[in-house]
Amino acid sequence: MANASLAAEPWPSSSPAWTRGPGRLAHRHLSLLRARVMDQETASAVRLDELLVAVGRLRDRDAFQTLFQHFAPRIKGYLLRLGAGASLADDLAQEAMLTMWRKAALFDPAKASAATWIFTVARNLRIDAIRRERRPEIDPEDPALVPDAEPAADAQMAQAGDESRLREALKVLSLEQVQVIEMSFFADKPHSAIAKELGLPLGTVKSRMRLAMARIRTKLGDLR
Amino acid sequence: MSITHHPGEELLIAYASGTADEAVSLIVATHIALCPQCRRAVRAAEAAGGVLLEDLKPARISDGALKAVLSRLDSPVATKPPVAKAVTDSNVPEPLRSYIGGSLQAVSWIPVARGLAYRPLFRRGASRAQLVRSAPGAGIAMHTHRGEEFTLVLEGGYGDTTGHYLRGDLQSASAEIEHRPIADEGGYCFSLAVVDAPLSFRSSAIALLAKVMGL
Ligand SMILES: [Zn+2]
Repeated sequence: MANASLAAEPWPSSSPAWTRGPGRLAHRHLSLLRARVMDQETASAVRLDELLVAVGRLRDRDAFQTLFQHFAPRIKGYLLRLGAGASLADDLAQEAMLTMWRKAALFDPAKASAATWIFTVARNLRIDAIRRERRPEIDPEDPALVPDAEPAADAQMAQAGDESRLREALKVLSLEQVQVIEMSFFADKPHSAIAKELGLPLGTVKSRMRLAMARIRTKLGDLR
Repeated sequence: MSITHHPGEELLIAYASGTADEAVSLIVATHIALCPQCRRAVRAAEAAGGVLLEDLKPARISDGALKAVLSRLDSPVATKPPVAKAVTDSNVPEPLRSYIGGSLQAVSWIPVARGLAYRPLFRRGASRAQLVRSAPGAGIAMHTHRGEEFTLVLEGGYGDTTGHYLRGDLQSASAEIEHRPIADEGGYCFSLAVVDAPLSFRSSAIALLAKVMGL
């Protein structure tokens, strides 16, 4: 059984290549193999993941520059959408990139894509710098944390594949659903204010969010 | 343990997107520490945030920004002094444990009515977070509220006209509901309560106390 599955795979499946020191080339090779069978969107997502791993493990400055050019303008765009002034948005985008450099070793491509990870960095920085609030987060090492029921086998699946499926999910959402999801990320407002702005009952906004999330989660293979 | 009362999707999204305020974020984050299902939902919403970020129209970054950041890469990081980890014999999960500094038994409770005690944690704007301790069979104060109220059971349980709530369960009550939760027999019920508007208590004595305590 184990042999059969090994034979079916052109690369060793024991542990992700980036967890082994000299395996970086193997990792690149693996990514290339995978990239070839994926569409271009996914291939570029894999590349971003790989660059972020290189920053974390190898302090790779070239990789950092490429990530900066890709993400800094997007983070600035995100902060502008949320109402930050241009110069503050610029400063915070730079801070986010610095945080990325310092914390990149914590990035685990099995858990999140580079874009998702950097989104959370920018989100937390905004809460800290603009709202001046703490961001309450779980501690994964906490003994009081209730662990996942089954360490799902698909959890090991390349996150980049998830991202392209997620993109598909967002494509098939209705315009109304996309609108409420976008507003919950880019308009710093409670859902009651979002409802008011759209001229809708709060219940309608909530049910659109529920339907949108159900679609997204079905695509990610996590049926509630 | 099985959790049957979960936060609505819109709360999970508000937490993942970072638009929820600190008090609401605290109660959602403490729930997802106890609820793998909602934890996965938050991760899915964060992944949606990643896709939205990726698809955003990039803004022009100022000239010299990259150079400025590159020059700072090697500068030493001003690390904050390590925060002493709260005692781990507590069954209160993070992030709430750090807010209360340890176990529920060690909290200095303020009695407000027969069998009922509170401990305010913090308030930010219209939102506030507080711990509630109810003796077996005691009420969790009779109040109507403006805005929304969220209650997360930490230990024990309670019931009201809407259902029964145990550790990890999160109840959302909107302004219209006047519920009269009663703590289960057999032990204290500890919960975290978050309100986004001041409670309006029925009893004037409790109202006065609440005012004094800044609830
Ligand atoms: Zn839940």
